[in-house]
Amino acid sequence: MPTVIVNNKPIEIGASEKLNCIQAAERAGDQIPSYCWHHDLSVVASCRMCLVEVGDKKPDGTIVMQPKLLPGCQTPVKDGTVIISNSEKVLAAQKGTLEFLLLNHPLDCPVCDQAGECGLQDFSYKYGRGYSRLQEPKNIKPDKDHIGDQITLFTDRCIMCTRCVRFTREISGTAELQVISRGTHEEIDIFPGDPCNNKLAGNVVDLCPVGALCSKDFLYKQRVWWLKSKNSVCPGCSTGCSITVDQNEDVLYRLKPRENPAAQGSFMCDEGRFGWKYVQSDRRLTSPIARSKGETIAQDWESVLASLETAVKATATQKTGQFAVVISPWATVEEAYLLAKFARKANPNAKLALGNVRVDGEDDLYPKDVHGKPALPTKFTIRAEKCPNRQGVEAVLSHFAGGVVAFLTILDQIQKGEVDSLYVLGGDPEGWIRDEDLATLDKLKLLVVQDLLASPASAKAQFVLPGSAWAEKEGTFINHKGLAQAIHRGLRGPEGSRPDGRILFELLGRGGLFHAASLRQEIAKEIPALAAIGAGDLGEHGVLLSSAKTEVGSSPVVMA
Amino acid sequence: MSTFEPTLLARIGKPDCQLLETYQRDGGYEGFKKALGMAPVDVVNLVKDSGLRGRGGAGFPTGLKWTFLPKDHSGPIYLAINADESEPATFNNRILMEMDPHQVLEGIAISCYAIKSQKAYIYLRYEYGRSYRALKKAIEECYAAGLFGKNIHGSGFDLDVVLHRGAAAYICGEETGLIESLEGKRAWPRIKPPFPAIEGLFRKPTIVNNIETMACVKQILDRGADWFKSMGVPPDPKNPRDAGSYGPKLYCISGHVNKPGCVELPMGVTVRELIDEHGGGVWKGRKAKAVVPGGISMGFLSADELDLPLDFNGPGKAGCLGLGTAAITVIDDQTSMVDVLFNCARFFAHESCGQCTPCREGTAWMHKILTRIRLGEGQLRDLDLLNEVASSMGIIPGTTICGLSDGAAWPIKNAIKKFRSEFEEYIQTGRKSVKPSEALMVAH
Amino acid sequence: MAVLNEELRDQIRALFPNYPNKRAVVLPALHLVQDAQRYVSIEAVREIAELLELHPSEVHDTMSFYEFFKDEKHKLGKHRVWVCRSISCMLRGGEELLQHMCEKLHVHPGQTSADGKVTMEFAECLGACDGAPCVLVDDEAHMNITPEKADELLKSL
Repeated sequence: MPTVIVNNKPIEIGASEKLNCIQAAERAGDQIPSYCWHHDLSVVASCRMCLVEVGDKKPDGTIVMQPKLLPGCQTPVKDGTVIISNSEKVLAAQKGTLEFLLLNHPLDCPVCDQAGECGLQDFSYKYGRGYSRLQEPKNIKPDKDHIGDQITLFTDRCIMCTRCVRFTREISGTAELQVISRGTHEEIDIFPGDPCNNKLAGNVVDLCPVGALCSKDFLYKQRVWWLKSKNSVCPGCSTGCSITVDQNEDVLYRLKPRENPAAQGSFMCDEGRFGWKYVQSDRRLTSPIARSKGETIAQDWESVLASLETAVKATATQKTGQFAVVISPWATVEEAYLLAKFARKANPNAKLALGNVRVDGEDDLYPKDVHGKPALPTKFTIRAEKCPNRQGVEAVLSHFAGGVVAFLTILDQIQKGEVDSLYVLGGDPEGWIRDEDLATLDKLKLLVVQDLLASPASAKAQFVLPGSAWAEKEGTFINHKGLAQAIHRGLRGPEGSRPDGRILFELLGRGGLFHAASLRQEIAKEIPALAAIGAGDLGEHGVLLSSAKTEVGSSPVVMA
Repeated sequence: MSTFEPTLLARIGKPDCQLLETYQRDGGYEGFKKALGMAPVDVVNLVKDSGLRGRGGAGFPTGLKWTFLPKDHSGPIYLAINADESEPATFNNRILMEMDPHQVLEGIAISCYAIKSQKAYIYLRYEYGRSYRALKKAIEECYAAGLFGKNIHGSGFDLDVVLHRGAAAYICGEETGLIESLEGKRAWPRIKPPFPAIEGLFRKPTIVNNIETMACVKQILDRGADWFKSMGVPPDPKNPRDAGSYGPKLYCISGHVNKPGCVELPMGVTVRELIDEHGGGVWKGRKAKAVVPGGISMGFLSADELDLPLDFNGPGKAGCLGLGTAAITVIDDQTSMVDVLFNCARFFAHESCGQCTPCREGTAWMHKILTRIRLGEGQLRDLDLLNEVASSMGIIPGTTICGLSDGAAWPIKNAIKKFRSEFEEYIQTGRKSVKPSEALMVAH
Repeated sequence: MAVLNEELRDQIRALFPNYPNKRAVVLPALHLVQDAQRYVSIEAVREIAELLELHPSEVHDTMSFYEFFKDEKHKLGKHRVWVCRSISCMLRGGEELLQHMCEKLHVHPGQTSADGKVTMEFAECLGACDGAPCVLVDDEAHMNITPEKADELLKSL
């Protein structure tokens, strides 16, 4: 195995791995600071922050170092490469680079969003000089609010790393951002009239190491050191981007993509990044309701759940197949499993169906070429299937019912009178039923709606159970290629709502508390297609279903 | 020293010297014909044997550079001619292009043949309008005469020459800055590796050569490698890396002399000889305080360093960056070095491409400090600060992508070292430069 | 209404065969447009980008790198007169010459005279150090310019 020596520490790297000095040093536990380098973007080596001493260890043991410093980002390592990142020369270069970067940088920390997660702050603290020797007037550059609908630019904070420009050229391909002017007067800008509003625009704010590019959505809302983060998965489409949920005092402030080579890579789309406001909607269901003949008869969990159990026994168990359960593809694997079990316990021939799968156009591939067509190789995909867990729910349904029944079939059966009791587990903020189908629900004797937002359907239901958003619960989402990822409870939902898994757990009469990891082990034993989640802990990057090498085919039979 | 018979400048000033007809009458394009009858690799070896080193400023052995091209490359291979000549005080390429364009074009044709390139791009700075028109006409003549185009002289060799005008940016004289500019982008020099010979213009193997170098190539084909090597300075035996300084060189003389101009001499002439015997001596009966030896990037020589030979090694011995463009500028003893250094700093702050941190911020910082000193508000510690800033910029410590930063830093370091007492006196007396107005002191 | 007429477009297109891709025509195209219209408007940049199959930002960022090209707010006069301010000209009175000419026309460098005839600019080394101080009128160099010669030059424009 090739060995690289970083600050006198030998580390082995993979025989076919192509690493640069920064990555090699990271393996050795040492940090080589850098700004312009990003593993998903082209190497420009322009910030000069990562300068290190590089050399070669010859087979006879002698070490020959290069006379000049080299940028770590553009220098590949091989067997015998020697990297020194803590010599006097390197430390002096780092101090010099930071001095230059801070020269015209405004002292904005007290009012800058980036404070607390700022590359300039962090590296200045670790590698900088500690004081300024500038006695001249600083360059002043105007702020630019017109960069994008979601993006604002504090121009004088920019350190010209050009990550943002390279992102719009290489990843989104939409090329809205550019560098104008020359030398010390350079600025980032858009072409007049063409703001950076592509569907991946928000990523440039993450890429910006300093507080130059800021998210208008998050601007001045919260200091980052008050935010608590939990790992989760964006529910917006079947790409299932790994993300973090940042909240304080149960108020969600922002989502950020989390690096996951098994899922989406390093980025996320704007619809996912900014489209979570429904979590704080005033249409959130906040009270369990039990109704009889249109009148509310109970509004506390104990009574409502008890009433629900009675109602189900009374109306859903008389005739075979009269009870149907519809599980939205926004439900987690655990919730789907528990609800299926509940349904079959109540009525052994209960029908199990998949809720509406919203599809919006075609998969959106990036980067785009100058004519707007996808250019290969694809670096990011926003998928047309706008739900996080169709594969997971389908695996549960296939197991319990032998196949996947569509919601429209159930509606048809309700219309024909074959089904008279319906339990819907919702979760899609856009709703789960078309307006023209609402009337069909009037034929039901029993309608139970467990959902996120109030709707005409929940207004009619005999039982309304306020569930939780994805950010408020533990569970598993399985994305388009069978990657099972864990979502975590980042914050509590509004008073009165409960995590869906807990509701179903109690309905089933199970003792103890809903615990996702234990449930995964149970599910894995029972459903061979989901054997891969049997470890319980799915790790940071998730687990591929195919890794369990199950016999069962992965494409379920859809029964129309 | 005996009068030297010019070769590069031999035809300058003759009647109709720019026309193809007169050029061919003087034996023009015979060297190209000779080259077409040789194997390309033999032409490369001929140029290698001559000891020709690039005249653009870096002094890299030309023939050796040509061998860096990948063998058996499917092509295309490009020759990019650096006619961007923007180093202050340099004008020898202008004279060659304006007055003897065919000499340059013949050198280009020979070089293309040697490196198996069928396309040459001449990147010509915009401000050289006369050179543009002279070259344009000359190229048209060549096409009309079948010297450019398809199957030249029935040799099977095709050649196209494209004239491409710049837009007044010094950094386009850096070889990869030139390439980026030619490709239609911001002239941000590329990181190396890969070097242009492997991946250059349009990501194909490219050789970038200077105008005067091309003229030398023509002369070498006409007169031979031995002729070229018969003049100049052989390698310094103490320096194993020295490739010698051979051939005739065009030296530009400007500044405070009686006869500014361009003169052709064997490499190795001293500064003093250039000033006294060819430049008409320092003007107005004054003495020289300082001399820039090779374009301002190289730094300054003080009055007692004028016996330095101007070959590739000489200026380095006096702490200058190198020979550069071999353009000397004389500064008389009534001129303030503060004004001179300010002018240099302003130039580099204006021209820095802004890509990498030390140059972008360092050149602007040095300009601001010198502005303040010039306006009478300098402090003694500013001199040490300037030195420190200059020392942390440049390819020499390895902190920048290209050499503009070195060029910006060197005059600062030289001037403060060699003329420190003058700077100190200026600061301590709070002297202010009255002319020109502050509005004219800005870089951009 | 297109900003670039058919003649300009033809001139730009005529350059395509010289290069393996259209992007290399950015600089020549900008020159053609500025020479014809005395500035390069935002709309012109868009049309150049369309002709060259590039994003407008890819043309505009190149344009802004070279201070040579002016936008609609800085239209050039009929002639552009550059005075060199680099070392060799400075040593022989170049900066005073620039100041003199600017005062004559009542402009700062970069501005156009009131009658729209002349835009004064400072230039970095014009490569005419054998005739310092040098004045470049459009792209023709005039050497050994004294203040008197400069006045004559301005009058002749």
